Amino acid sequence: MKLEGTNTLAAPIETVWKMINDPDALRRCTPGLKELKEIEPDHYEATLNVGIAAVKGTYKGTLTISDKRAPSHYMLVLEGSGGTGFMKGVGLVDLEPQGEGTLLKWTGDMQIGGLIAGVGQRMLGGVGKMLIGQFFKCLEQHLGEDV
Amino acid sequence: MSTRYFGARVTRNEDPALLTGRGLFVDDVRLPGMVHGAVLRSPHAHARLRRVDARRARTAPGVLAVFTHADLGTLGDPLPKLIPHPALTHQKTQHALAPDTVRYVGEPVAFVVAESRYAAEDACDLIEVDYTPLPAAATLEAAAAAGAPRVHDDMDSNICAHYTQRVGDVDAAFAQAAHRFRERFVIDRGASCPMETRGVVASWDARTRRLDIWDSTQAPIPIRNGLAQMLGLAEQDVRVVAPDVGGGFGPKIMMFYPEEILVPFAAMRLGRAVKWIEDRREHLVATNQEREQIHDAEIAVDSDGGILGVRTIFLYDAGAYIPYGLIVPIVASTTLPGPYRVPNYHCEFRAVFTNKTMVSPYRGAGRPHGVFVMERLLDRVARELRVDRAEVRRRNFIQPDEFPYDVGLIYQDNAPLRYDSGNYPACFDRALELIDYSGWDARQSTARAAGRLLGCGVACYVEGTGIGPYEGARITVEPSGRVFVATGVGTQGQGHLTTFAQIAADVLGVSPRDVTVRTGDTGLFGWGTGTFASRAATVAGNAVALAAKAVRDKARIVAASLLEAPPEEIELSNGNAFVRGVASRSVTLGALARAANPLRFAMPKEWEGPGLEAVRYFAPSQGAFSNGVHACVVEVDAETGGLTIERYVVVHDCGRVINPLILEGQIQGGVAQGLGGAFWEKLAYDDQAQPLSTTFMDYLLPTAAEMPPLAIAHLETPSPLNPLGVKGAGEAGVIPVAAVVVQAVEDALAPFGIHITEAPLSPSRLRQLIVEGRRSP
Repeated sequence: MKLEGTNTLAAPIETVWKMINDPDALRRCTPGLKELKEIEPDHYEATLNVGIAAVKGTYKGTLTISDKRAPSHYMLVLEGSGGTGFMKGVGLVDLEPQGEGTLLKWTGDMQIGGLIAGVGQRMLGGVGKMLIGQFFKCLEQHLGEDV
Repeated sequence: MSTRYFGARVTRNEDPALLTGRGLFVDDVRLPGMVHGAVLRSPHAHARLRRVDARRARTAPGVLAVFTHADLGTLGDPLPKLIPHPALTHQKTQHALAPDTVRYVGEPVAFVVAESRYAAEDACDLIEVDYTPLPAAATLEAAAAAGAPRVHDDMDSNICAHYTQRVGDVDAAFAQAAHRFRERFVIDRGASCPMETRGVVASWDARTRRLDIWDSTQAPIPIRNGLAQMLGLAEQDVRVVAPDVGGGFGPKIMMFYPEEILVPFAAMRLGRAVKWIEDRREHLVATNQEREQIHDAEIAVDSDGGILGVRTIFLYDAGAYIPYGLIVPIVASTTLPGPYRVPNYHCEFRAVFTNKTMVSPYRGAGRPHGVFVMERLLDRVARELRVDRAEVRRRNFIQPDEFPYDVGLIYQDNAPLRYDSGNYPACFDRALELIDYSGWDARQSTARAAGRLLGCGVACYVEGTGIGPYEGARITVEPSGRVFVATGVGTQGQGHLTTFAQIAADVLGVSPRDVTVRTGDTGLFGWGTGTFASRAATVAGNAVALAAKAVRDKARIVAASLLEAPPEEIELSNGNAFVRGVASRSVTLGALARAANPLRFAMPKEWEGPGLEAVRYFAPSQGAFSNGVHACVVEVDAETGGLTIERYVVVHDCGRVINPLILEGQIQGGVAQGLGGAFWEKLAYDDQAQPLSTTFMDYLLPTAAEMPPLAIAHLETPSPLNPLGVKGAGEAGVIPVAAVVVQAVEDALAPFGIHITEAPLSPSRLRQLIVEGRRSP
């Protein structure tokens, strides 16, 4: 399942870059994230609580940030598994200055398996978009505080 | 013998209990101290198992045990190869629990036993499994290609069998033909969806060392035999009962499903009765499926549309393991010629492993594929040569005086494919009459003028039924006069308790209501192979007839001494034995049974033992071949892709009909399943072989609302191969449905020039074809 989108954030590129690398911001804004434990820089253990269609489940796994080219690009990989199946999301984020603000472009590839795939695959596009939308909206709301 | 009940519309003996909720299905088995199993299944289509950690699950409340592959000992070995074949070079079979690799979503990884199913399922969530995902062989064609991810890494490719059969000189026939047409046909996966999913209960008595099993299976006796061997028990100490079974449709003939090992194993290990019932979501990943094949087919005809040769080279999706062998693709290849003369024929298939649920016969078992290919090829010939499609078929029928007709192939029972009897043109004409084919063109034109898209389809098939090796029956007259029939062939809704009773009733001169038929209990009858391939009525039915005749002969001998008349003069009627012409000199069957089991004094030598009882077997040398024609009228909504089936006709010949009421029910149910496979039901998978239709929200079964009015007519061409003259009918309803519906849809959409080479369709797929048709000139 491939998804993509853009968001415009009212802050300079350096501020946005700092924020999307900040464990506190990730912790606060990743939807359904119950726990994020930093193992080493850019490598976290994560526990997520996500519902897709009628299937709500807890997924334990990792969140990794790599391929960093500050302040404009990174790759984020979120992997988790639990009783209701597994999920793996790969997101590429690109930032560009846009006037006073920053244009954030993202593409994501999401794979799910097990029960959530059987029941939730048709909902995945919608749910994925919604979750990612929530993530960026949250970042935007907290931009001021974190700068 | 009199034939009072054979052929009559006798209502079913099994219905009073079933309709008042007094049936016994596996989930109705409730034993003291019984505990419940749940299976942890792989969420990956293909992955290496690095670690299975059940420590937390084992200490969860209510949990008695968690079993992984390491706990199983020799029961963890690959399960038996059921039907080997020389062409099947890599017969990989499944495990009770995956040892190190999982190869389809749903493959069992661990088995939890707890005080309740609830606790067992919760404990499944606590088992930690480390999977290393591997690339999946997700689609049939990709899996067959060089360089595809390999399902079994000790193989060079995913091809486990390559098999060719030839009749005549196909290349020469094609070289000389006036016309040659080539097509690619794709048929997708479906699931059988019986009302009762699978289920197993096992109970082990450590004192008597006896194992009792209730299993919703079509093969209780082979299950018993296999389990006894694997568990090191005597066959007589293992009893397998397939009680009332709520539908089988083929997948329940498969064995061993992992749970059929796990439940008895757990019961023996724990000393508690254990129950596992498959839930519906499990059914759609854990019970065998069928139907995915891709045929590259070609037909050669003369200038009049006479068939000169047919060639099909196809891929058969086996799923991840192939315990059941090559039955489905062999049946597909051998069903293809159908009722037509095909002097030169080449069929060749490769069986391909994919990372999907295993495949074994599902009602039709390859027959729908063969028929789809042949009928679509003939439709193409009709269109290209501008000959009416009915006429093309008529020109190619095997004629009634050509039987026995040798097709020239080897059938699924390893015997030559030789049609025993039939009247194909008569069946065809009757179907055309019932669908009013002669008035069709006018009706279609009128409808089109009114903006309505109506289409008509007609398709023919020959159905191999009644194959060996054997079945048997034991018939006993009880002291009460009731007749007791036990046979090894189980029943899953086919009405055996009635049809077998009718057969016995006629011979013994009683009412079918006085005949109790018990099936599927190895404690009552321990020889048999199972219910499959439309063979119960033919093989077990004839065994019942033979056993009944033996009991009748014995009753005559015993009655002769009581009534002081020669045995030849004794007749059986209305539950009595009497001297012919002297109704007053009579004795009841019950009294005869009591007399035949004396407590003292010498027994007459000619009785050859006590009681009115006999065991007989019937072992046909080859199958009996039924045939039929389906026709339908459909209406397509070009805006929505919706399909309405206005009328559906089945004309069927399965030899002598035992019970028309039951036969019509069989056909009606088959048509419903066929319509599902033609238009609604499709097991979808994503590109990593994740199943996407694991609920009835996504896997659409036809309901009563989709069922068209059905007109069913029977022709009766007796089979010369068995005393009753019967043939099978179990799969008749389903076989040509996709072929006939697709032909009708194509006919309806003729204004769009659409050509359909796939099944199942769906409203969205149909809509897509219409849009593409509109775009192309």
